[in-house]
Amino acid sequence: MRPLAPDSYRGNMENSPSELGLAARVTSLRKIYGSATTSVTALDDVSIGIRRGQFTAIMGPSGSGKSTLMHIMAGLDTASAGQAWLGDTEISALDDAALTVLRRRRIGFIFQAFNLVPTLDVRGNILLPFALDGRKPSTTENNWIEQLIDSLGLADRLTHRPHELSGGQQQRVAIARALATRPELVFADEPTGNLDSRSGREVLALLKAASTGYGQSIAMVTHDPIAASFADRILFLADGRLVEDRERSSAEDISRIMLGMEQRA
Amino acid sequence: MSGRGASLLVAGLASAFGVVLLQVTSVLATVISGDDVSDIGAVRSALSIVAVLFITIAVYVSSIVTTNTVATIIAGRTRTIALMRLIGSSARDQRRAVAKEGLLVGAVGAVLGAVVGTVLLSIGLWIAVAAGTLPDLRYSLIEPLLALPVLVVVLSTWCAAWVGSRRVLSVSPMQAVGAAQERSLEETVRRPARNIVAVLLIVAGVLFLAGGVVVGQISEYGVLLGLVGGLLSFSGLVLGSHLIMPPVLGLVGRLLGSNAPSRLAAANAQQHPERSSRATIGLVIGVTLITMFAVAGATFEKMMALAMEDPSVRRAISEMVGISLAVISVLVGFSALIAAVGMVNNLALSVLQRSREIGLLRALGFTGGQVRRMILTESLQMTVAAVALGLALGVVYGWAAAQSLFGTVANIGFVTPAVPWLLVVLSVTGTAVLAVAATIVPARRAVSVAPVTALAAG
Ligand SMILES: Nc1ncnc2c1ncn2[C@@H]1O[C@H](COP(=O)(O)OP(=O)(O)O)[C@@H](O)[C@H]1O
Ligand SMILES: [Mg+2]
Repeated sequence: MRPLAPDSYRGNMENSPSELGLAARVTSLRKIYGSATTSVTALDDVSIGIRRGQFTAIMGPSGSGKSTLMHIMAGLDTASAGQAWLGDTEISALDDAALTVLRRRRIGFIFQAFNLVPTLDVRGNILLPFALDGRKPSTTENNWIEQLIDSLGLADRLTHRPHELSGGQQQRVAIARALATRPELVFADEPTGNLDSRSGREVLALLKAASTGYGQSIAMVTHDPIAASFADRILFLADGRLVEDRERSSAEDISRIMLGMEQRA
Repeated sequence: MSGRGASLLVAGLASAFGVVLLQVTSVLATVISGDDVSDIGAVRSALSIVAVLFITIAVYVSSIVTTNTVATIIAGRTRTIALMRLIGSSARDQRRAVAKEGLLVGAVGAVLGAVVGTVLLSIGLWIAVAAGTLPDLRYSLIEPLLALPVLVVVLSTWCAAWVGSRRVLSVSPMQAVGAAQERSLEETVRRPARNIVAVLLIVAGVLFLAGGVVVGQISEYGVLLGLVGGLLSFSGLVLGSHLIMPPVLGLVGRLLGSNAPSRLAAANAQQHPERSSRATIGLVIGVTLITMFAVAGATFEKMMALAMEDPSVRRAISEMVGISLAVISVLVGFSALIAAVGMVNNLALSVLQRSREIGLLRALGFTGGQVRRMILTESLQMTVAAVALGLALGVVYGWAAAQSLFGTVANIGFVTPAVPWLLVVLSVTGTAVLAVAATIVPARRAVSVAPVTALAAG
């Protein structure tokens, strides 16, 4: 993979996002909530590219627009202005039905909590993306899933239901489900937000291994410097704007940047 | 329809039914006794016994429906109740508040139902007199006796709310703190004692029922054994519905297909045995009763047709059976209607309480159409299971009733149960209409759940 300078895609609009090595990209994104009188600008002219094969963290204080950005990039919400691409597909131009299929086939999700369908067991939850698509996994896909189940340590939990698992185990099931279809991009919104620090670190190490091990592109929203220190690249948001773009950094450095941002605010 | 709205409707329907039925008996007594005012008391009391029987059935069914509605609401409110407990409210206070609400809903519903019922009946009576169907006599519609069904409905709604809210006691304050996916309140309750009692009741009931059928061949007292057997086994079925309904629902679920919406719907009904049996048992009772009367009547007719030579006697019997069945079906059908209200409401509540789960499915790529299909499948599964079980039970009970009651009269041994075709047609169409109607509101609501609902923390 060709490493790119953070801003190299700007002013180079004739190249498609995938030629630029980007799994996803947004340009001049704006999101305004509410009516004219009580409007909140959640995103203010944000342009970002998520590089293919990398583990990217999106950092920022609470209310900085991280979740909003992720929702728009994942086709869960629409922007007020600007464009969003997944690979070469401009998702800001798609209707709800097309977005639904796109989420099902090309995106993986890991949420902070309530990741799993409570009535399905672990295997049912992992295979859910295939069931939603109305098909059975192919042989190669099955081998891949078995490999995932083993590496995530879920082999002896397959018939358990979510309430029988610890928080960390539930997140591992969510990771297995998110990776099962080998999606172009996995979105994780505060995936360690509900975990104790040890399980949290396990989950982060697994995400990192997915990215370094077989080039899974991951975009993770977090406000935890330790979580962000697992990422290859860290984008900092403040008040709905991109304020910093760093390569891999230590938790201490990340904390320092965050503190600086808070003090400036 | 909110839970409170449904309880109000159920109380109103039961009260209207009770009041109208008493008024009808009074009208009939007036018509039958004609000018002879001294005779009216005797006619009246005979009719009243029949009325009381059917009012009891309606109140019984509506109590079950209300108990279950309250229990479903409580299960969905676990978090809020836990929070109240956390900040120092006692479980008893919480429960008393629910019961008080039940009393209020029962009182308002019962009075409204009585008023609406009386108005409708007055209009009907006026039309009947104007059209010359009924003689123009001095009918007295308002009488002190009418307070009885109203009072019974108020009290039964109050009790139902109290019984249905017993789970408030098992909510721990800790449930407000836990953030991870927790075992739902629906699943934590295991009642071995209740299961044993249910099984014992069913076994004893079946033995009595069989005894009634056999003894009915030689003595008319067989029907008493049969009656005891019917009451025991039916109580056992209702008490053990959480053991019986899930397998039936599972079976029906498998018949409905194996695509993702169907599988999720089936899993949902089976993983919440308490909830799904609560949603359906009222309907099972209603269908069982209708079927029982219909099959008993038809089987009696068949026995008599085999036993009697004279065609004119046969015709008279079949006419009598037809009229009685029509009246009884309307009377019991009202209870089935109340049960249907309960089922519709339960489905609506369960969708309301699952918005996060539905949001998750939408985020993962479930289309609006798939969500709608999931809810329709769930509804179909519940309705088909309830109606099928009710039909099966009703055939057995109806046949046993006919055999034990008329076995000695006909004196032709055992006949196979006769099932009126009209009953089957009505059941099938009723099932379809109910299953679809029940999904209109919940499906609209579920499709409107935004995918981001699942992503919200907490
Ligand atoms: N649905 C909404 N309606 C109105 N305002 C919203 C909504 N969602 C988010 N916001 C506002 O947008 C801003 C960014 O929110 P969010 O993206 O959730 O931030 P973060 O995830 O970084 O905490 C906040 O000011 C928040 O209050
Ligand atoms: Mg957020």
